[in-house]
Amino acid sequence: MMKKLVMTVMMIVLCALLAAPSVWARETIKVGIVLPLTGGQAAFGEIERNSFEMALAEINSAKLLGDKKLEFIFEDDTGKPEVARSAAEKLITKDQVVMLGGGYGSSETFAIAGVAQQSAIPFLVNTGSADKITEQGWDYVYRLNPAASDYPMGLETFLTEVVKPKTAAILYEDSNFGSSSSKSFETTCKRLGINVVLSENYSKGGVDFKPLLVKVKQANPDLVYMISYLMDASLLMGQSMELRITPKLFVGGAAGFTLPEFPKKAGKASENVFSATLWYQTLPYPGAMEYFNNYGKKYGKETEYHGAEAYAAAYVIADTLKRAKSLSRPDVKAALSATDMMTVFGPVKFTSYDKKINQNKLPTYLVQWIDGKLELVWPKKIASKPFIYPIDFEKTWK
Amino acid sequence: MEMFIQTLVSGILIGGIYALIGIGMTLIMGVMKIINLAHGQLMMVAMYITFVCHQYLGLDPYFALFIAMPCLFVLGAAIQKYLLNPLLKVDSILPENQVLMTVGIGMVLTEVMRFIFHSDYRSIETGYSSTAFYLGGISFNLPMFVAFGIALLLTLGLFLFLLKTDVGKSVRATAQNMDAAMILGINAHWITILTYGLGSALVAAAGTLLLPIYYLFPDIGGPFTLKAFVITMLGGMGSTVGAIVGGVVLGVAESLGATYIAMSLKDAVAMVIFLLVLIFLPGGLKKLTKV
Repeated sequence: MMKKLVMTVMMIVLCALLAAPSVWARETIKVGIVLPLTGGQAAFGEIERNSFEMALAEINSAKLLGDKKLEFIFEDDTGKPEVARSAAEKLITKDQVVMLGGGYGSSETFAIAGVAQQSAIPFLVNTGSADKITEQGWDYVYRLNPAASDYPMGLETFLTEVVKPKTAAILYEDSNFGSSSSKSFETTCKRLGINVVLSENYSKGGVDFKPLLVKVKQANPDLVYMISYLMDASLLMGQSMELRITPKLFVGGAAGFTLPEFPKKAGKASENVFSATLWYQTLPYPGAMEYFNNYGKKYGKETEYHGAEAYAAAYVIADTLKRAKSLSRPDVKAALSATDMMTVFGPVKFTSYDKKINQNKLPTYLVQWIDGKLELVWPKKIASKPFIYPIDFEKTWK
Repeated sequence: MEMFIQTLVSGILIGGIYALIGIGMTLIMGVMKIINLAHGQLMMVAMYITFVCHQYLGLDPYFALFIAMPCLFVLGAAIQKYLLNPLLKVDSILPENQVLMTVGIGMVLTEVMRFIFHSDYRSIETGYSSTAFYLGGISFNLPMFVAFGIALLLTLGLFLFLLKTDVGKSVRATAQNMDAAMILGINAHWITILTYGLGSALVAAAGTLLLPIYYLFPDIGGPFTLKAFVITMLGGMGSTVGAIVGGVVLGVAESLGATYIAMSLKDAVAMVIFLLVLIFLPGGLKKLTKV
């Protein structure tokens, strides 16, 4: 009898000891993040993952979620929509994540958004910007970054107040993002009374853009607007200089023109090129400059607006999960809907306008490469340096 | 008219580099009768070698040719000796398992480079990257022009090697009939190693010449493997002259297509020509040149 009692007590103690760690360890909340970590857009995917990880470390060490630990599970979409789809499905069914984040390329983001809506799991998009993503009436899809058609808003006032161009040429990548942005820029031009003399698309990764650029040269527009990714952007500018295409100004409408690699490759052809952008480190948002500096210190590289989007998204995710009543999908969705916070990327609050739902609306800006440095030049009152216009290309290209 | 000539000039210049990419593949195809699907990836490795030479040793990319080409020759020869030739001895359902092997090699090369250099875009800035000279308003990109010249020289060298030297003749003999060549005392095994090495060295030259005008990241190989494949088919499998003509035809077709139809359709234009050649000239342009 005694022996039996001792045994029982010992068993109970043993069980308690085994069970204890799981009681003491912080409960983890898993969130799935889909990004292009390999493939042609991996450079951006890497910036975003680094930013997510940086934010995650801060969130967990500051115990933003109380006793619970936040965990990001990264999946690679390789820049292909079908892979993005299966990555999202894997995160939902196998990893049982409470919500999804990430979404870089528009086509991939669209695929993930479809899965998220089907599985009724909240998805916070931080980069994929084709308009249609938030125009489907998919109520589980939220977008932190402005839609593609909003990108040139900052440029618009600059054009009407300073440049007043009469003709424009648009060159764009034949992707979801490219065609969506070019269409909206064409409408903008129409509204401003600018005649679009040329609108041409190309497939990314080309070596020689001269066949396209000779057409621009022939059309001789006042404004050349290019919606291009990084290396296409550098080659386009370099070869424009080679063909001596001299409009009043070159404006970049996408990621390609704001990265540090752009002047590295394009050299003096990058000088005085404008670009529409969504974020700049000197913007008066709390923590923006700090994030920029910390990133540089930690990874030895410069970050840019994609990183800021990812960093802000991580904080929005943490904030949502903190406020959610439970981790059930409807509760998380309700909490995400109610988001109203300040991030390094600007204020985040999801609204509905035009055909879009759950869309965060933010102002956009204009930057310019001045003496090898990217400077915020428009709107004027927050500019880090006065803009250079008119531009004497013959002189800058010498 | 100026637009047409400018388009033609850029097409021919880019065609020279295409030819250099294709010629290595066609050489390998001629001797081993396999498509080397790691071709673009080998080029990517050569580009990284050039990049490292430029970035850390301060070598001019044109000088780096003398480093990248031997390195890739050794790499290619090693791949043939230790990875592809052993497969010949293995019976399998697919006789083409060497081709599958090259796909695998390509992936490994890509991921190894990603491991070392990450996915960042790399490029080298030389003083002459976007230098051009002008003839009557037509711009000639200097590095492209130089690349075209070097491509011609290398091809000429390859020709002399194949036509005039004993080893070159052995390569041609092996390409024509491997069994007969072996009976006549040619070490066909050694010839295959040499050929793969040569093919790799040639594509290394293409990569090195391309780097000043283009850029670099680990996944860059794939599209160029495809280009090389098209050129090889266009020119006629195993024909070196065909590869040169094929490369230039492809370059010009892409440029004209980009100017007069649409830049996004330039690959489609190239593919249409490719199909037309397959339908009306099966066996490629080799049929016309007879070499």
